[in-house]
Amino acid sequence: MKTNLKRRVAGVAAVAVVLLSAACSDPGSGSAASSSGEWPAQDADLSGTTLTIWAAQNSNKLPDSVISGFEDLTGADVEVVTIPDPYEQGVQTKVATGDMPDLAFWQPTASQLTALNARTNLLPLDDAPFLDDYDPALRDITGILDDTRYAALISTPAVEGVYYNKEVFEKAGITDLPTDWDSFVELGRELKKQGETPFFEMGADRWATQWWVQVQLAEAANDGLWDRVNAGEESFTDPTIQGAIDTYSDLIDEGLFNSDIKTATFEDQGKALLDGDAAMVVQVNSFFSQLQQLADTDELDQKIGFFPISAEGNVGTFIPDQSNAMVAFATGDEAQESAAKQLLSYWLGDGYGDFVEANSTVSLEPGVPTPDGVPQALLDVSASLGDSAGSMQALAIANPDLYINLADMIQGTKPPVQVAEATQEQFAQLAKAQGAEGF
Amino acid sequence: MTTILERPTATEADPGHTPRRRPASRSDHPLWFLVPALALLGVFFIAPTVFNFVYAFTDWSSFKTEISFVGLENFRDLLGNGSLISDLRITVIYAALVAVFQNLFGLLLALLLERDTRVNRFARVAFFVPVIMSALAVGYVFQALLKPDGGLNAMLSFVLPGEVSVAWLGSTTWTVVVVALVHAWKWMGLSMLIYLAGLKTISEDVLEAARLDGASSWQVFRQIKFPLLAPAVTFNVATALLGSMNGFDIVQATTEGGPGGSTELLNIFIFRTFGQGLFAQATTMSLTLFLVVAVLAFPVIYLLRRRERVL
Repeated sequence: MKTNLKRRVAGVAAVAVVLLSAACSDPGSGSAASSSGEWPAQDADLSGTTLTIWAAQNSNKLPDSVISGFEDLTGADVEVVTIPDPYEQGVQTKVATGDMPDLAFWQPTASQLTALNARTNLLPLDDAPFLDDYDPALRDITGILDDTRYAALISTPAVEGVYYNKEVFEKAGITDLPTDWDSFVELGRELKKQGETPFFEMGADRWATQWWVQVQLAEAANDGLWDRVNAGEESFTDPTIQGAIDTYSDLIDEGLFNSDIKTATFEDQGKALLDGDAAMVVQVNSFFSQLQQLADTDELDQKIGFFPISAEGNVGTFIPDQSNAMVAFATGDEAQESAAKQLLSYWLGDGYGDFVEANSTVSLEPGVPTPDGVPQALLDVSASLGDSAGSMQALAIANPDLYINLADMIQGTKPPVQVAEATQEQFAQLAKAQGAEGF
Repeated sequence: MTTILERPTATEADPGHTPRRRPASRSDHPLWFLVPALALLGVFFIAPTVFNFVYAFTDWSSFKTEISFVGLENFRDLLGNGSLISDLRITVIYAALVAVFQNLFGLLLALLLERDTRVNRFARVAFFVPVIMSALAVGYVFQALLKPDGGLNAMLSFVLPGEVSVAWLGSTTWTVVVVALVHAWKWMGLSMLIYLAGLKTISEDVLEAARLDGASSWQVFRQIKFPLLAPAVTFNVATALLGSMNGFDIVQATTEGGPGGSTELLNIFIFRTFGQGLFAQATTMSLTLFLVVAVLAFPVIYLLRRRERVL
């Protein structure tokens, strides 16, 4: 009886040890990515191959034209799987448990590529045939981590800048656009004197709050701000970033924003600018997509303009998002990996003209013309890209919840000093988890 | 694995004799019959709980391939971070509010719908519908209703003079109460059902005797029904309190923890941390929540059971 029991206890313990040790190797980070290998021809036969693409709710329709073209050309079967929002968290969790597609929409920034453990999970795209087709100014703007390219840009990255209502400006007799931060704020005060609401912010939906801080940091970013933050040499609580947060807070206190700033949503923001209830909004491209649902191109061209703004001039701040780029996964199956690469080279090769036409978006390739009917504001956005600076998301190694802390500031639960402290604390935690030096 | 379920018998204390033949009824339940159930229990309940403990002491994240032990570091970081304490406070307040509202509404409904009439049967079903609805759906419906330009304000504007545009989910003080009310609304049907079952067990003789003695309906409730409902109160309060400590879905759908973090339950914080790829830290937090719920559960259930003893 006794020895029997003992043996059983030993057996259970052994099973437990096996389970524990098995569980202690992260299933989402298996063997190292296979080396890049050959890029197949765009029209190589792929009958019988099924490729899976993960997309978010707002990007799952983007590849439609590419997919039908590719399926006709190669005989492959391409499936788009929509991962529910919050997309990034969903994908990260799935990948961490060992589930991978062949391709996915992904934010091509250093922080988000790190979050996906790109070195082990993604295919390097360094020798992709389409790289030479890109506009040279945009070719290396993002998608690269530690000198290796992991993401292929498919559309122009978003730029943080000011969208304004031309009619409100006209009515107030404003003819010259601001040329730096001071003239931008002065313009706001002037508009307020005339009884307009100068700025509109969406405190309830939170995520746009960070643009106000980031645009002020464009020159500093070009000056290596985020490199210093990444190395732990500068922090969010140091004067540069803290100063930008304080400025934002002061402008809110001064009453230059909409009175319903605490409860206003993304939808409210779009409506307010279009209706002329507010004069200016600091936003990114997805805001303009929102406007495109409310008005046609003619109306938008007539009413809405865009200019980049920064502390000392008109430098834009670029922030690629998930709908701008694709990553290919190192699934370990060579045929699948090769087919995924083939789809990418078709997408940015023979299929690219159809892609920009179908989505009426600005082309990244000088060889492929931007379709007519792209609104002027979007053309201005993409024109500002060439000399724009990287955002926190593009250049910092981690992406802390700055926007939540700023939204807390708007609600009055965190003073500006605490916003910087909380953000820095989370940044340090993430940097430490990545094994970054200096944390 | 051929051990037989058995009670210790005199035979084992008396090794000199050969064991007597056991009655057949004792040997028809071999212990290995339990194996399938135990295996399921092990894989789906015991292993995750054990891993919850194990991973809390590692640096598991989405950024690295290896997982190594880091001792108590996660706990130190977490305690140094003000968010944990403030989120725990919000979680406990939320749970207490839900427990109060859910039981109040459940009890009132049970008393109101106690008699078995046709209308009451229909009303019971109607009030039970939210219980089987998806919590996220409930959250989104209420989020739409409670918006400044949502349904509730539209109704109020119709009834009251002037335009009503209250941001029901916009106050950093009161939103937690509003969200707790939504949570209680969703689950009050379950409490109602359990109180109804409790009311049915009260003997009609006792109630009739009370009425003959001239007791008012309030006295009947206060002196007889409520004390006799004690077991139902225990179950309802404990499940409401401890269940809402683990609350996530309704709050995520209505406020995402806002405004200004004033409804950020610990589970929302855990979700956010997990989403950042800090899996070990998230596990540490969920272990902390587990321990807090456990620490809270024992005294609460003990106190409520002691109330039952006066019966």
